[in-house]
Amino acid sequence: MATDTGGRFDGSDDDVRNETGIGTELGLDDPRRLLRGVAGLLGFLALWHAVSLTQPPIVLPSPVAVAASFRAELVSGTMTAALVSSVRHWIPGTLVGTGLGIGAGVAFAWSRPLDDVTAPLVRLLRPVPPLALIGFAIAWFGLNDAGAAFIIAVGGFWINFYAAYGAVEGVSEDLVDVGRTLGVRGELDMVRSVVLPASLPGILTGIRTGLGRCWMLVIAAEIFSVPGVGREILRASNNLRVDRAIAYILVLSLMYLVVDVAFRAVQRRVLVWQK
Amino acid sequence: MAEVTDEPPAERAADTDDAGVVVDAVGKTYAGDGDPVRALDDVSFTVETGEFVCLVGPSGCGKTTLFRIVAGLIDATDGEVRLGGTPVTGPTTEMGVVFQEYHLFPWLTVEENVRFGLDRSDYPEAERERRVDEMVDLVGLTEFRGSYPKSLSGGMKQRVAIARALAVDPALLLMDEPFGAVDAQTREMLQRELLDVWQSTGKTVCFVTHDVAEAVTLGDRIVVMAAEPGRIAEVVDVDVDRPRERGDPAFGEHVARVRELIGAQP
Repeated sequence: MATDTGGRFDGSDDDVRNETGIGTELGLDDPRRLLRGVAGLLGFLALWHAVSLTQPPIVLPSPVAVAASFRAELVSGTMTAALVSSVRHWIPGTLVGTGLGIGAGVAFAWSRPLDDVTAPLVRLLRPVPPLALIGFAIAWFGLNDAGAAFIIAVGGFWINFYAAYGAVEGVSEDLVDVGRTLGVRGELDMVRSVVLPASLPGILTGIRTGLGRCWMLVIAAEIFSVPGVGREILRASNNLRVDRAIAYILVLSLMYLVVDVAFRAVQRRVLVWQK
Repeated sequence: MAEVTDEPPAERAADTDDAGVVVDAVGKTYAGDGDPVRALDDVSFTVETGEFVCLVGPSGCGKTTLFRIVAGLIDATDGEVRLGGTPVTGPTTEMGVVFQEYHLFPWLTVEENVRFGLDRSDYPEAERERRVDEMVDLVGLTEFRGSYPKSLSGGMKQRVAIARALAVDPALLLMDEPFGAVDAQTREMLQRELLDVWQSTGKTVCFVTHDVAEAVTLGDRIVVMAAEPGRIAEVVDVDVDRPRERGDPAFGEHVARVRELIGAQP
Protein backbone atom coordinates (compact mmCIF):
# COMPACT_ATOMS: atom_id res chain seq x y z
CA MET A 1 0.00 0.00 0.00
CA ALA A 2 1.11 3.51 -0.65
CA THR A 3 2.22 5.39 2.39
CA ASP A 4 1.65 9.09 2.73
CA THR A 5 -1.34 11.05 1.47
CA GLY A 6 -0.26 14.31 2.95
CA GLY A 7 -0.58 13.44 6.61
CA ARG A 8 0.76 15.94 9.07
CA PHE A 9 2.97 14.23 11.54
CA ASP A 10 4.37 16.83 13.85
CA GLY A 11 5.64 15.31 17.02
CA SER A 12 9.05 16.88 17.21
CA ASP A 13 10.61 17.16 20.63
CA ASP A 14 10.61 20.94 20.45
CA ASP A 15 6.84 21.12 20.12
CA VAL A 16 6.26 18.84 23.05
CA ARG A 17 8.55 20.79 25.32
CA ASN A 18 7.09 24.17 24.47
CA GLU A 19 3.50 23.03 24.66
CA THR A 20 3.71 21.39 28.02
CA GLY A 21 6.30 23.50 29.79
CA ILE A 22 5.53 25.63 32.78
CA GLY A 23 7.36 28.47 31.01
CA THR A 24 4.50 28.68 28.50
CA GLU A 25 1.99 29.07 31.28
CA LEU A 26 3.76 32.09 32.65
CA GLY A 27 4.54 33.53 29.24
CA LEU A 28 8.27 33.08 29.71
CA ASP A 29 8.83 31.77 26.20
CA ASP A 30 7.71 35.06 24.65
CA PRO A 31 9.70 38.01 25.99
CA ARG A 32 7.27 40.59 24.61
CA ARG A 33 4.29 38.99 26.34
CA LEU A 34 6.27 38.75 29.54
CA LEU A 35 7.32 42.38 29.29
CA ARG A 36 3.74 43.58 28.79
CA GLY A 37 2.59 41.49 31.74
CA VAL A 38 5.27 42.95 34.00
CA ALA A 39 4.38 46.45 32.78
CA GLY A 40 0.71 45.87 33.60
CA LEU A 41 1.56 44.64 37.05
CA LEU A 42 3.91 47.56 37.78
CA GLY A 43 1.30 50.00 36.47
CA PHE A 44 -1.26 48.54 38.83
CA LEU A 45 1.11 48.78 41.79
CA ALA A 46 1.92 52.40 40.92
CA LEU A 47 -1.75 53.32 40.70
CA TRP A 48 -2.45 51.52 43.96
CA HIS A 49 0.42 53.34 45.64
CA ALA A 50 -0.74 56.75 44.31
CA VAL A 51 -4.29 56.21 45.53
CA SER A 52 -3.10 54.91 48.91
CA LEU A 53 -1.29 58.23 49.51
CA THR A 54 -4.66 59.97 49.55
CA GLN A 55 -6.29 57.51 51.94
CA PRO A 56 -5.69 56.45 55.55
CA PRO A 57 -4.12 52.97 55.94
CA ILE A 58 -7.32 51.46 57.35
CA VAL A 59 -9.04 52.23 54.03
CA LEU A 60 -6.22 51.42 51.64
CA PRO A 61 -2.67 50.66 52.83
CA SER A 62 0.18 51.22 50.39
CA PRO A 63 1.76 48.23 48.60
CA VAL A 64 4.91 48.89 50.61
CA ALA A 65 2.99 48.50 53.89
CA VAL A 66 1.44 45.27 52.57
CA ALA A 67 4.87 43.94 51.62
CA ALA A 68 6.15 44.76 55.10
CA SER A 69 3.19 42.95 56.67
CA PHE A 70 3.73 39.98 54.37
CA ARG A 71 7.36 39.79 55.47
CA ALA A 72 6.52 40.16 59.17
CA GLU A 73 3.88 37.43 59.03
CA LEU A 74 6.25 35.15 57.15
CA VAL A 75 9.14 35.73 59.57
CA SER A 76 6.97 35.22 62.65
CA GLY A 77 5.82 31.86 61.27
CA THR A 78 2.13 32.77 61.50
CA MET A 79 1.71 32.79 57.74
CA THR A 80 3.31 29.41 57.20
CA ALA A 81 1.25 27.87 59.98
CA ALA A 82 -1.96 29.33 58.53
CA LEU A 83 -1.08 28.11 55.05
CA VAL A 84 -0.26 24.61 56.26
CA SER A 85 -3.52 24.51 58.17
CA SER A 86 -5.53 25.67 55.14
CA VAL A 87 -3.84 23.14 52.89
CA ARG A 88 -4.84 20.48 55.40
CA HIS A 89 -8.49 21.45 54.84
CA TRP A 90 -8.10 21.94 51.15
CA ILE A 91 -6.44 18.63 50.22
CA PRO A 92 -8.89 16.18 51.84
CA GLY A 93 -11.90 18.36 50.95
CA THR A 94 -10.84 18.64 47.33
CA LEU A 95 -9.93 14.97 47.02
CA VAL A 96 -13.22 13.75 48.46
CA GLY A 97 -15.36 16.29 46.57
CA THR A 98 -13.58 15.69 43.28
CA GLY A 99 -13.67 11.91 43.57
CA LEU A 100 -17.32 11.68 44.56
CA GLY A 101 -18.32 14.36 42.03
CA ILE A 102 -16.67 12.58 39.11
CA GLY A 103 -17.96 9.20 40.22
CA ALA A 104 -21.55 10.41 40.55
CA GLY A 105 -21.38 12.50 37.38
CA VAL A 106 -20.13 9.61 35.25
CA ALA A 107 -22.55 7.11 36.78
CA PHE A 108 -25.66 9.31 36.53
CA ALA A 109 -24.90 10.45 33.00
CA TRP A 110 -24.20 6.93 31.78
CA SER A 111 -27.08 5.11 33.46
CA ARG A 112 -30.53 6.29 32.44
CA PRO A 113 -32.35 4.61 35.39
CA LEU A 114 -29.89 6.05 37.88
CA ASP A 115 -30.32 9.46 36.26
CA ASP A 116 -34.11 9.22 36.48
CA VAL A 117 -33.94 8.32 40.16
CA THR A 118 -31.47 11.03 41.13
CA ALA A 119 -32.50 13.92 38.86
CA PRO A 120 -35.09 15.49 41.22
CA LEU A 121 -32.74 15.16 44.18
CA VAL A 122 -29.90 16.76 42.21
CA ARG A 123 -32.13 19.68 41.21
CA LEU A 124 -33.16 20.15 44.82
CA LEU A 125 -29.66 20.05 46.30
CA ARG A 126 -27.77 21.87 43.58
CA PRO A 127 -28.83 25.43 44.57
CA VAL A 128 -27.74 24.98 48.17
CA PRO A 129 -24.55 27.05 48.66
CA PRO A 130 -21.86 25.12 50.53
CA LEU A 131 -21.82 27.84 53.18
CA ALA A 132 -25.44 27.18 54.02
CA LEU A 133 -24.26 23.80 55.23
CA ILE A 134 -22.01 25.21 57.92
CA GLY A 135 -24.50 24.18 60.55
CA PHE A 136 -24.29 20.58 59.35
CA ALA A 137 -20.51 20.77 59.16
CA ILE A 138 -20.40 21.80 62.81
CA ALA A 139 -23.03 19.31 63.91
CA TRP A 140 -21.53 16.37 62.03
CA PHE A 141 -17.82 17.09 62.28
CA GLY A 142 -17.37 19.88 64.82
CA LEU A 143 -15.32 23.09 64.72
CA ASN A 144 -12.31 21.35 63.26
CA ASP A 145 -10.40 20.43 60.14
CA ALA A 146 -12.95 17.83 59.11
CA GLY A 147 -15.79 20.37 59.31
CA ALA A 148 -13.89 22.78 57.07
CA ALA A 149 -12.97 19.99 54.66
CA PHE A 150 -16.66 19.07 54.43
CA ILE A 151 -17.64 22.55 53.19
CA ILE A 152 -14.84 22.44 50.63
CA ALA A 153 -15.84 18.96 49.50
CA VAL A 154 -19.43 20.05 48.86
CA GLY A 155 -18.28 22.88 46.62
CA GLY A 156 -15.84 20.64 44.75
CA PHE A 157 -18.45 17.94 44.35
CA TRP A 158 -20.87 19.99 42.29
CA ILE A 159 -18.32 21.42 39.92
CA ASN A 160 -16.89 18.00 39.20
CA PHE A 161 -20.31 16.41 39.07
CA TYR A 162 -21.57 18.72 36.34
CA ALA A 163 -18.31 18.66 34.41
CA ALA A 164 -18.22 14.85 34.39
CA TYR A 165 -21.95 14.58 33.69
CA GLY A 166 -21.70 16.93 30.72
CA ALA A 167 -18.56 15.24 29.40
CA VAL A 168 -20.13 11.79 29.49
CA GLU A 169 -23.34 13.05 27.90
CA GLY A 170 -21.21 14.51 25.13
CA VAL A 171 -19.44 11.24 24.31
CA SER A 172 -20.15 10.41 20.67
CA GLU A 173 -22.67 7.60 20.20
CA ASP A 174 -20.59 6.56 17.24
CA LEU A 175 -17.57 5.77 19.40
CA VAL A 176 -19.81 3.65 21.59
CA ASP A 177 -21.07 1.86 18.46
CA VAL A 178 -17.50 1.26 17.31
CA GLY A 179 -16.73 -0.16 20.73
CA ARG A 180 -19.67 -2.54 20.45
CA THR A 181 -18.62 -3.76 17.00
CA LEU A 182 -15.09 -4.34 18.33
CA GLY A 183 -16.24 -6.67 21.06
CA VAL A 184 -16.84 -4.39 24.05
CA ARG A 185 -19.44 -6.23 26.10
CA GLY A 186 -20.88 -5.00 29.35
CA GLU A 187 -21.28 -1.55 30.82
CA LEU A 188 -18.08 -1.62 32.86
CA ASP A 189 -15.84 -2.35 29.91
CA MET A 190 -17.61 0.32 27.86
CA VAL A 191 -17.25 2.95 30.58
CA ARG A 192 -13.62 2.05 31.25
CA SER A 193 -12.47 1.64 27.65
CA VAL A 194 -14.54 4.18 25.75
CA VAL A 195 -16.63 6.53 27.88
CA LEU A 196 -14.00 7.58 30.42
CA PRO A 197 -11.18 8.24 27.97
CA ALA A 198 -13.55 10.06 25.62
CA SER A 199 -14.82 12.32 28.41
CA LEU A 200 -11.42 12.85 30.04
CA PRO A 201 -10.87 16.34 28.58
CA GLY A 202 -14.15 17.57 30.11
CA ILE A 203 -13.48 15.82 33.40
CA LEU A 204 -10.02 17.37 33.66
CA THR A 205 -11.43 20.83 32.97
CA GLY A 206 -13.83 20.20 35.84
CA ILE A 207 -11.04 19.15 38.16
CA ARG A 208 -9.09 22.27 37.27
CA THR A 209 -12.06 24.57 37.88
CA GLY A 210 -12.79 22.68 41.09
CA LEU A 211 -9.24 23.08 42.40
CA GLY A 212 -9.61 26.85 42.21
CA ARG A 213 -13.13 26.91 43.59
CA CYS A 214 -12.18 24.66 46.50
CA TRP A 215 -9.26 26.90 47.32
CA MET A 216 -11.63 29.88 47.48
CA LEU A 217 -13.94 27.88 49.72
CA VAL A 218 -11.04 27.41 52.14
CA ILE A 219 -11.63 30.99 53.23
CA ALA A 220 -15.34 30.53 53.60
CA ALA A 221 -14.89 27.26 55.45
CA GLU A 222 -12.59 28.91 57.97
CA ILE A 223 -15.00 31.67 59.00
CA PHE A 224 -16.18 29.54 61.89
CA SER A 225 -12.83 29.95 63.55
CA VAL A 226 -10.95 26.98 62.19
CA PRO A 227 -7.30 28.03 61.90
CA GLY A 228 -6.01 28.90 58.45
CA VAL A 229 -5.51 31.65 55.91
CA GLY A 230 -9.24 32.39 55.93
CA ARG A 231 -9.31 32.98 59.65
CA GLU A 232 -6.25 35.24 59.45
CA ILE A 233 -7.97 37.37 56.80
CA LEU A 234 -11.09 37.70 58.94
CA ARG A 235 -9.09 38.44 62.05
CA ALA A 236 -7.06 41.12 60.27
CA SER A 237 -10.23 42.67 58.89
CA ASN A 238 -11.88 42.71 62.30
CA ASN A 239 -8.82 44.49 63.71
CA LEU A 240 -8.88 46.99 60.84
CA ARG A 241 -5.47 45.69 59.70
CA VAL A 242 -6.15 45.93 55.98
CA ASP A 243 -2.44 45.52 55.17
CA ARG A 244 -2.41 42.13 56.91
CA ALA A 245 -5.62 41.10 55.22
CA ILE A 246 -4.18 41.92 51.81
CA ALA A 247 -0.97 40.03 52.65
CA TYR A 248 -3.01 36.90 53.34
CA ILE A 249 -5.14 37.43 50.25
CA LEU A 250 -1.86 37.49 48.35
CA VAL A 251 -0.97 34.11 49.87
CA LEU A 252 -4.24 32.74 48.50
CA SER A 253 -3.56 34.08 45.02
CA LEU A 254 -0.02 32.75 44.93
CA MET A 255 -1.13 29.35 46.15
CA TYR A 256 -3.86 29.22 43.52
CA LEU A 257 -1.39 30.23 40.81
CA VAL A 258 1.04 27.47 41.76
CA VAL A 259 -1.66 24.81 41.85
CA ASP A 260 -3.25 25.92 38.59
CA VAL A 261 0.02 26.07 36.68
CA ALA A 262 1.01 22.65 37.98
CA PHE A 263 -2.34 21.13 37.09
CA ARG A 264 -2.34 22.59 33.60
CA ALA A 265 1.03 21.04 32.98
CA VAL A 266 -0.34 17.67 34.11
CA GLN A 267 -3.47 18.18 32.00
CA ARG A 268 -1.48 18.81 28.84
CA ARG A 269 0.66 15.79 29.44
CA VAL A 270 -2.33 13.52 29.96
CA LEU A 271 -4.14 14.92 26.92
CA VAL A 272 -1.12 14.79 24.64
CA TRP A 273 -3.35 13.06 22.03
CA GLN A 274 -5.45 16.23 21.72
CA LYS A 275 -2.66 18.38 20.34
CA MET B 1 -25.68 -15.60 -9.21
CA ALA B 2 -27.20 -15.63 -5.82
CA GLU B 3 -30.61 -14.30 -6.56
CA VAL B 4 -32.77 -16.08 -4.05
CA THR B 5 -35.58 -13.63 -3.66
CA ASP B 6 -38.10 -15.80 -5.49
CA GLU B 7 -37.89 -18.62 -3.01
CA PRO B 8 -39.93 -18.88 0.18
CA PRO B 9 -38.02 -17.87 3.33
CA ALA B 10 -37.74 -21.38 4.83
CA GLU B 11 -35.96 -22.85 1.80
CA ARG B 12 -33.79 -19.79 1.54
CA ALA B 13 -32.51 -20.27 5.05
CA ALA B 14 -31.87 -23.96 4.44
CA ASP B 15 -29.73 -23.72 1.33
CA THR B 16 -27.81 -20.57 2.14
CA ASP B 17 -26.27 -21.58 5.44
CA ASP B 18 -22.81 -21.36 3.94
CA ALA B 19 -23.48 -17.96 2.46
CA GLY B 20 -21.62 -14.95 3.82
CA VAL B 21 -24.58 -12.72 4.56
CA VAL B 22 -28.26 -13.31 4.02
CA VAL B 23 -30.55 -10.30 4.35
CA ASP B 24 -33.95 -11.91 4.60
CA ALA B 25 -37.12 -9.84 4.10
CA VAL B 26 -35.81 -7.07 6.34
CA GLY B 27 -38.17 -4.20 7.10
CA LYS B 28 -37.82 -1.25 9.44
CA THR B 29 -40.52 1.10 10.69
CA TYR B 30 -39.69 4.10 12.84
CA ALA B 31 -42.48 4.98 15.24
CA GLY B 32 -41.62 8.65 15.60
CA ASP B 33 -43.97 11.38 16.81
CA GLY B 34 -46.37 11.52 13.90
CA ASP B 35 -47.17 8.74 11.45
CA PRO B 36 -44.87 5.75 11.54
CA VAL B 37 -42.18 5.97 8.84
CA ARG B 38 -41.42 2.88 6.78
CA ALA B 39 -37.66 3.19 6.26
CA LEU B 40 -37.09 -0.26 4.76
CA ASP B 41 -39.55 -2.65 3.18
CA ASP B 42 -38.96 -6.32 2.35
CA VAL B 43 -35.24 -6.04 1.62
CA SER B 44 -33.65 -9.36 0.67
CA PHE B 45 -30.28 -10.13 -0.87
CA THR B 46 -27.31 -12.38 -0.31
CA VAL B 47 -23.60 -11.73 -0.22
CA GLU B 48 -21.66 -14.91 -1.00
CA THR B 49 -18.53 -15.76 0.94
CA GLY B 50 -15.60 -13.88 -0.56
CA GLU B 51 -17.85 -11.69 -2.66
CA PHE B 52 -17.66 -7.88 -2.90
CA VAL B 53 -21.15 -6.41 -2.96
CA CYS B 54 -21.94 -2.72 -3.13
CA LEU B 55 -25.15 -1.11 -1.99
CA VAL B 56 -26.13 2.10 -3.78
CA GLY B 57 -29.20 4.26 -3.72
CA PRO B 58 -30.45 7.81 -3.52
CA SER B 59 -30.31 9.62 -0.20
CA GLY B 60 -33.20 8.64 2.01
CA CYS B 61 -33.38 5.10 0.61
CA GLY B 62 -32.44 3.61 3.96
CA LYS B 63 -28.87 2.55 3.09
CA THR B 64 -27.54 3.60 6.46
CA THR B 65 -30.50 2.05 8.30
CA LEU B 66 -29.82 -1.21 6.46
CA PHE B 67 -26.12 -0.93 7.27
CA ARG B 68 -26.90 -0.48 10.96
CA ILE B 69 -29.29 -3.43 10.95
CA VAL B 70 -26.71 -5.70 9.27
CA ALA B 71 -24.10 -4.52 11.79
CA GLY B 72 -26.47 -5.45 14.62
CA LEU B 73 -26.48 -1.89 15.95
CA ILE B 74 -30.26 -1.57 15.58
CA ASP B 75 -33.00 -4.17 15.30
CA ALA B 76 -35.08 -4.80 12.22
CA THR B 77 -38.85 -4.52 12.59
CA ASP B 78 -39.38 -7.47 10.23
CA GLY B 79 -37.18 -10.21 8.83
CA GLU B 80 -33.64 -11.01 9.86
CA VAL B 81 -30.01 -10.90 8.86
CA ARG B 82 -27.95 -14.08 8.99
CA LEU B 83 -24.18 -14.24 9.02
CA GLY B 84 -22.86 -17.71 8.13
CA GLY B 85 -26.35 -19.05 8.88
CA THR B 86 -26.57 -17.49 12.36
CA PRO B 87 -29.11 -14.71 12.93
CA VAL B 88 -27.51 -11.39 13.85
CA THR B 89 -28.98 -10.20 17.16
CA GLY B 90 -26.38 -7.61 18.10
CA PRO B 91 -22.90 -6.41 17.19
CA THR B 92 -20.51 -9.30 16.62
CA THR B 93 -16.78 -9.49 16.12
CA GLU B 94 -17.51 -11.72 13.14
CA MET B 95 -18.12 -8.42 11.36
CA GLY B 96 -15.53 -5.72 10.91
CA VAL B 97 -17.40 -2.44 10.67
CA VAL B 98 -16.00 0.71 9.05
CA PHE B 99 -17.88 4.00 9.33
CA GLN B 100 -17.80 7.05 7.09
CA GLU B 101 -16.31 9.36 9.69
CA TYR B 102 -13.57 6.88 10.76
CA HIS B 103 -14.47 7.13 14.43
CA LEU B 104 -10.98 6.26 15.59
CA PHE B 105 -10.43 6.43 19.32
CA PRO B 106 -8.55 9.75 19.47
CA TRP B 107 -6.82 8.92 22.75
CA LEU B 108 -5.21 5.80 21.30
CA THR B 109 -2.28 5.63 18.90
CA VAL B 110 -2.58 3.93 15.51
CA GLU B 111 -1.41 0.60 16.86
CA GLU B 112 -3.52 0.88 20.01
CA ASN B 113 -6.59 1.52 17.85
CA VAL B 114 -5.79 -1.56 15.76
CA ARG B 115 -5.25 -3.54 18.93
CA PHE B 116 -8.55 -2.52 20.58
CA GLY B 117 -10.60 -5.46 19.30
CA LEU B 118 -7.74 -7.93 19.77
CA ASP B 119 -7.59 -7.09 23.47
CA ARG B 120 -11.10 -8.46 23.76
CA SER B 121 -10.45 -11.56 21.68
CA ASP B 122 -9.24 -15.09 22.39
CA TYR B 123 -5.91 -14.51 20.64
CA PRO B 124 -2.88 -15.13 22.87
CA GLU B 125 -0.68 -12.11 23.51
CA ALA B 126 2.05 -13.03 21.01
CA GLU B 127 -0.55 -13.54 18.29
CA ARG B 128 -2.16 -10.17 19.10
CA GLU B 129 1.13 -8.40 18.61
CA ARG B 130 1.78 -10.26 15.38
CA ARG B 131 -1.66 -9.35 14.05
CA VAL B 132 -1.22 -5.67 14.95
CA ASP B 133 2.07 -5.63 13.04
CA GLU B 134 0.48 -7.41 10.11
CA MET B 135 -2.56 -5.11 9.91
CA VAL B 136 -0.58 -1.90 10.34
CA ASP B 137 1.73 -3.12 7.58
CA LEU B 138 -1.21 -4.18 5.38
CA VAL B 139 -2.52 -0.61 5.31
CA GLY B 140 0.97 0.88 4.96
CA LEU B 141 1.08 2.75 8.25
CA THR B 142 4.00 1.05 9.99
CA GLU B 143 5.84 4.35 10.05
CA PHE B 144 2.93 6.00 11.87
CA ARG B 145 2.05 3.24 14.32
CA GLY B 146 2.89 5.42 17.32
CA SER B 147 1.00 8.49 16.08
CA TYR B 148 -2.31 9.74 17.40
CA PRO B 149 -5.25 10.08 14.96
CA LYS B 150 -5.18 13.87 15.23
CA SER B 151 -1.91 14.01 13.32
CA LEU B 152 -3.15 11.79 10.46
CA SER B 153 -4.82 12.81 7.20
CA GLY B 154 -8.35 11.62 6.39
CA GLY B 155 -7.08 8.88 4.10
CA MET B 156 -4.69 7.60 6.74
CA LYS B 157 -7.41 7.63 9.38
CA GLN B 158 -9.65 5.52 7.20
CA ARG B 159 -6.79 3.05 6.64
CA VAL B 160 -6.44 2.75 10.41
CA ALA B 161 -10.19 2.15 10.69
CA ILE B 162 -9.94 -0.63 8.10
CA ALA B 163 -6.95 -2.20 9.86
CA ARG B 164 -8.82 -1.99 13.19
CA ALA B 165 -11.87 -3.68 11.67
CA LEU B 166 -9.79 -6.46 10.07
CA ALA B 167 -7.57 -7.11 13.09
CA VAL B 168 -9.88 -9.64 14.75
CA ASP B 169 -10.18 -11.50 11.44
CA PRO B 170 -13.93 -11.05 10.88
CA ALA B 171 -15.82 -13.07 8.27
CA LEU B 172 -17.34 -9.91 6.82
CA LEU B 173 -16.07 -6.40 6.24
CA LEU B 174 -19.05 -4.04 6.42
CA MET B 175 -18.45 -0.47 5.27
CA ASP B 176 -20.73 2.58 5.26
CA GLU B 177 -19.57 5.19 2.73
CA PRO B 178 -16.04 4.76 4.05
CA PHE B 179 -14.46 7.03 1.44
CA GLY B 180 -17.14 9.72 1.48
CA ALA B 181 -15.14 12.12 3.62
CA VAL B 182 -11.86 12.18 1.67
CA ASP B 183 -10.86 14.06 -1.46
CA ALA B 184 -11.28 12.47 -4.91
CA GLN B 185 -7.62 11.59 -5.39
CA THR B 186 -7.32 9.91 -2.01
CA ARG B 187 -10.59 8.15 -2.61
CA GLU B 188 -9.32 6.48 -5.79
CA MET B 189 -6.16 5.41 -4.02
CA LEU B 190 -8.14 3.97 -1.13
CA GLN B 191 -10.41 2.12 -3.56
CA ARG B 192 -7.40 0.45 -5.18
CA GLU B 193 -5.98 -0.37 -1.77
CA LEU B 194 -9.26 -1.82 -0.58
CA LEU B 195 -9.40 -4.10 -3.62
CA ASP B 196 -5.84 -5.21 -2.85
CA VAL B 197 -6.79 -5.94 0.75
CA TRP B 198 -9.92 -7.77 -0.37
CA GLN B 199 -7.98 -9.90 -2.86
CA SER B 200 -5.18 -10.68 -0.41
CA THR B 201 -7.45 -11.53 2.52
CA GLY B 202 -10.38 -13.09 0.66
CA LYS B 203 -12.87 -11.35 2.96
CA THR B 204 -16.53 -10.98 2.17
CA VAL B 205 -17.21 -7.27 1.70
CA CYS B 206 -20.47 -5.35 1.91
CA PHE B 207 -19.89 -1.74 0.90
CA VAL B 208 -22.50 1.02 1.14
CA THR B 209 -22.00 4.09 -1.07
CA HIS B 210 -23.98 6.79 -2.87
CA ASP B 211 -21.28 7.05 -5.53
CA VAL B 212 -22.30 4.94 -8.54
CA ALA B 213 -18.85 5.02 -10.17
CA GLU B 214 -17.35 3.81 -6.89
CA ALA B 215 -19.81 0.92 -6.76
CA VAL B 216 -19.00 -0.07 -10.35
CA THR B 217 -15.26 0.19 -9.64
CA LEU B 218 -15.45 -2.09 -6.62
CA GLY B 219 -18.38 -4.46 -6.65
CA ASP B 220 -18.91 -7.96 -8.05
CA ARG B 221 -22.56 -7.07 -7.80
CA ILE B 222 -24.45 -3.90 -7.01
CA VAL B 223 -27.61 -3.90 -4.95
CA VAL B 224 -29.51 -0.85 -6.19
CA MET B 225 -32.01 0.60 -3.76
CA ALA B 226 -34.99 2.87 -4.23
CA ALA B 227 -36.54 5.27 -1.73
CA GLU B 228 -39.89 5.73 0.03
CA PRO B 229 -40.00 3.13 1.33
CA GLY B 230 -36.41 1.93 1.11
CA ARG B 231 -36.42 -1.21 -0.99
CA ILE B 232 -34.35 -3.07 -3.56
CA ALA B 233 -34.84 -1.82 -7.11
CA GLU B 234 -32.56 -4.36 -8.75
CA VAL B 235 -29.37 -6.32 -8.30
CA VAL B 236 -26.86 -5.61 -11.06
CA ASP B 237 -23.97 -7.97 -11.93
CA VAL B 238 -20.85 -6.07 -12.85
CA ASP B 239 -19.33 -7.99 -15.78
CA VAL B 240 -16.22 -5.89 -16.18
CA ASP B 241 -12.75 -7.35 -15.76
CA ARG B 242 -10.55 -5.97 -13.01
CA PRO B 243 -8.69 -3.70 -12.84
CA ARG B 244 -11.58 -1.61 -14.08
CA GLU B 245 -10.89 1.55 -16.01
CA ARG B 246 -13.35 4.40 -16.01
CA GLY B 247 -12.67 4.97 -19.73
CA ASP B 248 -13.78 1.41 -20.58
CA PRO B 249 -17.14 1.50 -22.49
CA ALA B 250 -18.44 -1.44 -20.42
CA PHE B 251 -17.71 0.54 -17.26
CA GLY B 252 -19.67 3.50 -18.60
CA GLU B 253 -22.60 1.28 -19.55
CA HIS B 254 -22.82 -0.11 -16.03
CA VAL B 255 -22.67 3.34 -14.51
CA ALA B 256 -25.43 4.55 -16.85
CA ARG B 257 -27.55 1.50 -16.10
CA VAL B 258 -27.29 1.93 -12.31
CA ARG B 259 -27.92 5.67 -12.56
CA GLU B 260 -31.02 4.98 -14.60
CA LEU B 261 -32.27 2.59 -11.93
CA ILE B 262 -31.68 5.17 -9.24
CA GLY B 263 -33.27 7.86 -11.34
CA ALA B 264 -30.30 10.15 -10.92
CA GLN B 265 -29.11 12.64 -13.50
CA PRO B 266 -26.65 11.01 -15.91
